[in-house]
Amino acid sequence: MTDGTSPALGAPPSPAKHRLLEATYACIARSGLARITVEEAAREAGVSRATVYRHFPGGRDELVRETVGHEVAHFFLELAEAVASSDSFADVLEEALLHAHAAVADHEVLQKLLATEPDRLLPDLALEANRLLPPIATFLTPYVADQDLPPGVEVEPAAEYVARMVLSLVGAPGRWDLTDRGEVAELVRSEILAGLVAEGDDAHPA
Amino acid sequence: MATITMSDGAPAPAGPDAVERRVLDAALCCLARWGVAKTTLDDIAREARVSRATVYRAFPGGKDTVLDAIVVDELSRFAGDLGERLLGTDDLEDLLVTGITFASQTLTGHEALQYLLAHEPEQVLPHISFGRFDGVLAAASGLVAPHLARFVGEELALRTGEWVTRLVFSYTMAPSPTYDFTDADDVRRFVRSYLLPGLTDRTTAPAAPPHPRND
Repeated sequence: MTDGTSPALGAPPSPAKHRLLEATYACIARSGLARITVEEAAREAGVSRATVYRHFPGGRDELVRETVGHEVAHFFLELAEAVASSDSFADVLEEALLHAHAAVADHEVLQKLLATEPDRLLPDLALEANRLLPPIATFLTPYVADQDLPPGVEVEPAAEYVARMVLSLVGAPGRWDLTDRGEVAELVRSEILAGLVAEGDDAHPA
Repeated sequence: MATITMSDGAPAPAGPDAVERRVLDAALCCLARWGVAKTTLDDIAREARVSRATVYRAFPGGKDTVLDAIVVDELSRFAGDLGERLLGTDDLEDLLVTGITFASQTLTGHEALQYLLAHEPEQVLPHISFGRFDGVLAAASGLVAPHLARFVGEELALRTGEWVTRLVFSYTMAPSPTYDFTDADDVRRFVRSYLLPGLTDRTTAPAAPPHPRND
């Protein structure tokens, strides 16, 4: 990742669309998912209802879904920037997990919606998160390609595996304490990278 | 829906009686056909060929109680079937391949679950995302840990159970172009590539190395 826009995460929305997505997000942050309407988003963005429908023909549902997708993509763009200066692949993954876990915990709007409107939020959020699997794998691919992979392990499936682990852990850490750098290092070493290091080539001896 | 509270592989001590069984099976058919919102208690009674009164006698809370009972029943059935299969495995690789393949086949082949994921995701996804998924991970790892402990030791068994559960959900909810988790051969390649290298250096029982050493 070299600049603020990631080709991996798809083309950024047009300025007009971007403004509407930001406006919708502001409305959702203020009053939740249940009450959001096309009118409210249009008012917040200072445009007409017709303009909203021109950009989002599906109306309210499309607007909300794309806003969730926009925020999820934004979340992972920030994450990519946060880990860009790390040296080794293991460092990248450790930083990513520590950073993402903290960002989810500190995300006021997300936490509010998870507490009050999980049924409305989670279908869109799960869908958008899964759509990010390929771009996250693409982002990870150069790191995986730099690894001395064991025979039989190929770059693309391995990058996809790592992306799935990261996405799953960010959503639900389970038994891992993702605020503890030592635990995160152990997690990366034992579960995420164990299969991506050729034998006798352990860059991180226990 | 009911909270998942499985803690071991044993089926619930008091399973459903014959009438309850019929109602639960009928309700599952209705869910696979119409989903949660459109299924009525009358539909369930008709499908089970019993009266509304009979359904209410078996499930006094009505539709919601039937739905909760389905979740408990399906999970305990799955736990029992999985446990049986895992008992028959005699090395770590087989245990992982058998468990992952069976769990994935059960999830993707479950008609009611798949209908809901496609048409009423709000009925399912909140139960398997974020904080609730931590609960799923804990329940599922508790279920498989006694089996895993035979090969990786008790300390690592719960952690490994979680790891595997994560992957089953990830690779079945968003299928991969590379690994079909319902295919035992694909799963075996996956297990050898990504799971065994993280487990074999610490196993308490000998297991085949995932990659032949060149030295």
